Amino acid sequence: MIVKVRNLVKRYGDLIALDHLSFSIKEGEIFGLLGPNGSGKTTAINCILSLLKYDKGEIEVFGEPMTPEAYHIKRNIGIVMQNVAVFNELTVYENIDYFCGLYIKDKNLKKQLVEETIEFTGLNEYRNFRPKKLSGGLLRRLNIACGIAHKPKLIILDEPTVAVDPQSRNKILEGIRKLNSKGATIIYTSHYMEEVEQICSRIMIIDKGKAIATGTKEELKAMISLGEKITVESYDVSGEQLARLKQLPNIVSVEYSNPLIEIKSSKGKNNLENVLEFIKKENIPFGKIYSELPTLNDVFLEITGKELRD
Amino acid sequence: MFAHIFMNRLRCLLRDKETIFWTFAFPLALSLFFYLALSNIGKGETFQEIDIAVVNDSRYQEDLYFKTALEEASKGEDRLFDLTLATEEEAGKLLENGSIKGYIKAGDQIELVVKESGMYQSIIKSFLDNYSQTFKAVETVLRNDPKKYQEVMESLKDRKNYVKEVPTAGGKPDIVINYFYTLIAMACMYGSFFGMRETSDIQADISPLAARINIAPVHKLKAFLSSICASMLIHLVVMLALLGFIRYVLNIDFGPRTGYVLLTMVIGSITGVFFGAFVSALVKKSEGIKVAVLIGVSMLGSFLAGMMYIDIKYLISMNVPFLSWINPVNLLTDAFYSLYYLDDLSRYALNIGVLSGFATLFCVLTYLILRRRKYAGL
Repeated sequence: MIVKVRNLVKRYGDLIALDHLSFSIKEGEIFGLLGPNGSGKTTAINCILSLLKYDKGEIEVFGEPMTPEAYHIKRNIGIVMQNVAVFNELTVYENIDYFCGLYIKDKNLKKQLVEETIEFTGLNEYRNFRPKKLSGGLLRRLNIACGIAHKPKLIILDEPTVAVDPQSRNKILEGIRKLNSKGATIIYTSHYMEEVEQICSRIMIIDKGKAIATGTKEELKAMISLGEKITVESYDVSGEQLARLKQLPNIVSVEYSNPLIEIKSSKGKNNLENVLEFIKKENIPFGKIYSELPTLNDVFLEITGKELRD
Repeated sequence: MFAHIFMNRLRCLLRDKETIFWTFAFPLALSLFFYLALSNIGKGETFQEIDIAVVNDSRYQEDLYFKTALEEASKGEDRLFDLTLATEEEAGKLLENGSIKGYIKAGDQIELVVKESGMYQSIIKSFLDNYSQTFKAVETVLRNDPKKYQEVMESLKDRKNYVKEVPTAGGKPDIVINYFYTLIAMACMYGSFFGMRETSDIQADISPLAARINIAPVHKLKAFLSSICASMLIHLVVMLALLGFIRYVLNIDFGPRTGYVLLTMVIGSITGVFFGAFVSALVKKSEGIKVAVLIGVSMLGSFLAGMMYIDIKYLISMNVPFLSWINPVNLLTDAFYSLYYLDDLSRYALNIGVLSGFATLFCVLTYLILRRRKYAGL
């Protein structure tokens, strides 16, 4: 195991930030920590990094207890903070060189790693720019570059795509996959379920400091009763028709918010076919019809009773 | 690792325009302002010879004692009067057109004619009164007991001095230099901006940048030491430049003890940097609030040390001496003052000793706060 967390408890006065949190991360995984803002993701990361005192629990990294003095462990960890943490007075190159230099003593190796990182993050043409001249997306990329330049075995990315444009977000996610393919184990925290779903091999959903579900995205979706979500666009449907629609087999709920009818069904066959037949039979005029599989938000919603985005 | 952090830190600090402004440009501009505003202070008080006239008639020519006394007072570099011999009519015209402050008519009763009263007129009158009294005293003695002539003359020479002479370091009395000393002391304390930055960039609970550095495999205090050495170097160079500017461009004299002046500056700078480091470690507020605290404390200290009004320094020293001893700006100002004016170094040593104590205290307290490796909250 690369990381092992057992019964981690962290309190801020009366508030329990982490409530007996336990999880393990295997080598080569992209492990997603998914949860709404304030759920305890960053607190858990700070405890793993031995920045934050915790009340109870054990943390092991690379098979050894993590302490502030465990420099041999720290040497193999790269961190990309939620907030951009770079020197405003240093250029892109100098920033990466500075942080890489805290891990790598050999000057030639350091130079090579810095060049590789600049290339990897696509910052070559901005190498002499100061952070203030970079766009939000480029700044995030610089933040990532400073955390990964020393080629760590474990990379922790704490919400690295917050306030980033879609193009930069895709580049960042693509970069994370590449790092993983080169052998790095990754911990990725986010409240964007689409991102987590897109890149993580295993996900832990966390809420109010508690782990509420852990598994692959398929495993997580299999945990809930929702099988399909069918949306029908219609401007003319009566209350009686909606009530009859709800009587169809496997249909769990029907909600109408003009012009969309949202139908949720449990797992089962021919759900979409049954709905289509009903609409035809009832002569309900309709526009678009589409069906979606459950998302991690649905998983979160079913387990906690609230939206992940709340 | 030390060199890596040190060099990068130098780069960061030299490019930090705000810190450079407060630590260098601001004191430099203020010193120039002081120079322009205060350069005439003292010059107005330089004594100028008083233009007078004496009515050159037979009474004056015959009164040899008075004539000699007046001529003596109008001779040499340190003369009291610029004397003109004139007729009474000419003297009246000279007085009328302002060429002289007054004119004298010799006789049994020496007369002074002035157009207005003022400092110069008082000096002329004082001189004449003094002459008349002395002359009368000698005349009386000679009339009553001529044998005592020699004794009287000796006693006239032997005037008692009620002012105790203190050996000086050779500095000429100059009220203006104190303003520059407080300014240099304030600039030393502005090193606190460097100290503040160093603490902010190493305390994980203050900034994300510091958190990132804390996660790196570098001993926290080693990283802090490397950074603060860079800060110290820049602050010393800045202070040296400021001192050079004040000494050689503005021609403000610091006396002959250059080595001690530099030592004072070094200790002052160390105190300033560690003061900022301590305040920043202690006050868990935004950078803006910390800057406000540092500027506030430095300015208040400078005010109490007499930067805006020189008499404050003496009022505080006389009435609330404790405040003088806990004010680093005052200790520095007083150290410079002692070096300039006093031959004896004991007062200087006391100031520097107390200041070094403060520097050590700030350093130890900063260490005690910074040595924390884990934080209760971030």
